[in-house]
Amino acid sequence: MKLRKLAFALAAASLAAIPVAHAEEGEYGVLMKTLSNPFWGAMGMGVEDGAKEAGVEYFSQAVESDQAAEPQLNVCNTMLERKPVAMITAAINSTNLLPCLKKAQDAGIKVVDLDGNLDPAILDKEGIKITFRIGSDNVAAGAQGAEYLVSKIGADAEGPVLVIEGLSGNITGEKRARGFADKLKELAPGLEIVASLPGDWDRGKAATITNDILTRNPDLVAIFAANDGMALGAVESVYAAGKGDQVTVIGVDGNSDAVKSIKEGRLNASVAQLPYLVGKQAVENVKKAIDGESVPTDVAVPTLVLTKEVLEAGTEPMLEFVK
Amino acid sequence: MTLLHLSGIRKSFGAVDVLHGVDLDVAAGEVIGLVGDNGAGKSTLMKTITGIYSADAGAIELDGRSILHLDPGERRRIGIEMIYQDLSLAKQQDVASNIFLGREPVKKMFGFIPGMVDKARMDREAAEMIERLGAHLPSINRPVSSFSGGQQQTVAIARALTFDPKLVIMDEPTAALAVREVQSVLDLIRRLKSEGIAVILISHRLNDVLAVTDRIVVLRHGRAEADLRTADTNMNEVVARIVGGGDTASAAAHELGGHR
Amino acid sequence: MATTATPGIWSRAQRASIDRLHIRLESFIVLLVLAAAMAVLSPFFLSVSNFLNILLATSTIGVLAIAATFVISSGGLDLSLGSVMGLSGVVGAYIAVNLGAPSPFGVGACILAGAIAGYINGQIVTRAFVPAFIVTLGMLGIARGLALVISGGRVIYGLPEYLLFLGQGRPFGIPVPVIIFVITALVAHFVLAYTRFGRHTLALGDSEGAARAAGIRVERQRRILYTISGGLAGLAGMIFMARINSGDPTAGLNYELTAITAAIIGGTNLFGGRGSILGTMIGALIMGVLQNGLNLLAVQSYYQQMAIGAVLILAVFIDQYQVRKETRA
Repeated sequence: MKLRKLAFALAAASLAAIPVAHAEEGEYGVLMKTLSNPFWGAMGMGVEDGAKEAGVEYFSQAVESDQAAEPQLNVCNTMLERKPVAMITAAINSTNLLPCLKKAQDAGIKVVDLDGNLDPAILDKEGIKITFRIGSDNVAAGAQGAEYLVSKIGADAEGPVLVIEGLSGNITGEKRARGFADKLKELAPGLEIVASLPGDWDRGKAATITNDILTRNPDLVAIFAANDGMALGAVESVYAAGKGDQVTVIGVDGNSDAVKSIKEGRLNASVAQLPYLVGKQAVENVKKAIDGESVPTDVAVPTLVLTKEVLEAGTEPMLEFVK
Repeated sequence: MTLLHLSGIRKSFGAVDVLHGVDLDVAAGEVIGLVGDNGAGKSTLMKTITGIYSADAGAIELDGRSILHLDPGERRRIGIEMIYQDLSLAKQQDVASNIFLGREPVKKMFGFIPGMVDKARMDREAAEMIERLGAHLPSINRPVSSFSGGQQQTVAIARALTFDPKLVIMDEPTAALAVREVQSVLDLIRRLKSEGIAVILISHRLNDVLAVTDRIVVLRHGRAEADLRTADTNMNEVVARIVGGGDTASAAAHELGGHR
Repeated sequence: MATTATPGIWSRAQRASIDRLHIRLESFIVLLVLAAAMAVLSPFFLSVSNFLNILLATSTIGVLAIAATFVISSGGLDLSLGSVMGLSGVVGAYIAVNLGAPSPFGVGACILAGAIAGYINGQIVTRAFVPAFIVTLGMLGIARGLALVISGGRVIYGLPEYLLFLGQGRPFGIPVPVIIFVITALVAHFVLAYTRFGRHTLALGDSEGAARAAGIRVERQRRILYTISGGLAGLAGMIFMARINSGDPTAGLNYELTAITAAIIGGTNLFGGRGSILGTMIGALIMGVLQNGLNLLAVQSYYQQMAIGAVLILAVFIDQYQVRKETRA
């Protein structure tokens, strides 16, 4: 008996310890993928600063991993209960949030595609009109990676190249890989992509893939990975094989780990997205849209190639947004 | 009148001869003690009766009809039941669930959804069964794991009774029981006898065997070494027949001391 | 010996709830207390639409938890639930979208794909004597891989309208997944608690020897249970597929553990012999209410995982305490 009471008391007490959140008029709901990635952390900071400057209230949620598709949908539905005026969402895939977004639209809530994870064709079919999408142009980011590579080793360079994609089926990783491949073909036809494999955004998996391909193609000249985590995994394998000077490794994101590695001269380059800027501009643009100003349907936030030279020179004005 | 008749039962496992021609007769309502040292062949003999093993040679008859060709399920259906030492109870289920396990009566739920187990009837009949055995359980709706060893034994016997057996073989039913519970299990055996059910009791506890049986059969090296009327024998003789000569006096003294 | 203590109201209510409904009263009270606490803490909690949200969010995991309850209470384990759910959704979407088959075939394909995976689990467990943990762990990988192969790693989008109704329809304002979930739970509860099949399942989990001695065809029973488990995972896959209008090869990732957690919080014995679907539903709802409430309070998902972990341990602790008290009595 005593034990039962104790258990209830504990349950009640632990709940009471959570501060009561109040909804203000005109709250923005922000739904991220997961916080276990510095990219989303930086975006969160951008959202926070943007909201502070614009003087708006927001509440933010994320799920446990960037593969928790259904949990994210459930969280999204729950967030609607708080009746936000706008939902800024970074969907885990192109379809998982559709029912929630439709419901939001029906309730007159403005829907924003954060980081461009939604597929315009699917949105059309579902009859969902988003207010705008904002994020880096991932195809362009991939292309920038290719441009950097060609500028480093020359347009007439020859040899095998490895591409490490993101999670199978993830549109972001796909766009980056495609942007890189298309641009490379155009600029340096002598560089042949011998393998394009999904690294599942996983550092360890990318390292393994790199090892395997180095065994098959010992003369590998470059690796393009669809994010920095995987690029850093690839770097470790390349150095372990003693080919640090031979293989150029390029990542995407420009996260703090990558910046550190570039400064140390290990990772060659990272096409930095500016998640801080994406988050900040997302909130600013929502504010504009709500105030009745016009906002373009596609807000492209530029990307920036980080190399040791760029970082050391420190003259690039956009560097201040690299978090 | 003979219920069960065994003659010349032989059984070997590969090169090891376990039974060398065992003869045994059990009358209806008779309680037989089957004793013998470890490895004497007691459990092999019992599994030959229940049909888990098939005899290499010899005859087994129940009510004068050979049952050699029957499998364990069929032998159970014609009235041969065995209660193993582990009781084979589902310990988290209640009394009725155990007694009727595998043969639950069904009815229609709300009068039209078929296949619903008639739990009320199970409980009622289980309670009757326990009462018929003259036993008492604290509650019929509790998991059997909450019962004492003797009470669990009661449930196992009650379950055996629902098959309407002619012969119940019990493997060491008193081995793990507290002293006061032994008596209630012996009472249950007497109750079975009074209903005309024959019992073969396998036990190392000779005091229990002497207390409850009509006859004691001693197995030794795969043969029925002795067939003693309980009323005409005593601990010393039984022990002597089990160990077969040698220092029987000290073995008997040990038995006497050991189980008091 | 047996002193007949006069039972208090609590223990009589407890007894009755176990006898009639096969649930433990404590878990139900924990659910109510939790819901009351959430209602006090968040002004958004107490509303019909939020209540339906909770049920909707619980529907797929709830169906998987029903599957987990069947298998675990029989002394088995099915780790492939989440993967099979993902595979079923992809198979259903492939058949309905890529092959253009009529909707009933899509539904049938989901459930059949799940049932086949479960049947294979059951065959290997009972015939090859490989432990269930290993077999279903293997199936976890096989089913997930197959889902990625069939879908080419992409979501298969654009289901026919009838299929969509199963995920997005709202007759009388109630989402169809919730209706499917509740009906499945009621039928499953009836089967596990009141039929011979259900009683044999529990007895089997309790003591395989006792079940065998009672003439229950143990291997057959296990095969049926794994097939049901797979079929239910297929149903969950169908629900989720219809909800998001696509077959997602990564659907149901790690759901097997969540489903098992719901079953255990609901009072299922991890080693078999005890379990009830209503109990599991309460377990699933405890998790659903906790997550929903914490979401409404905008508490980070990290803390939610901690809270659910703590509830799991607390639930089993209370349960063990009650069981030991009973056994001592």
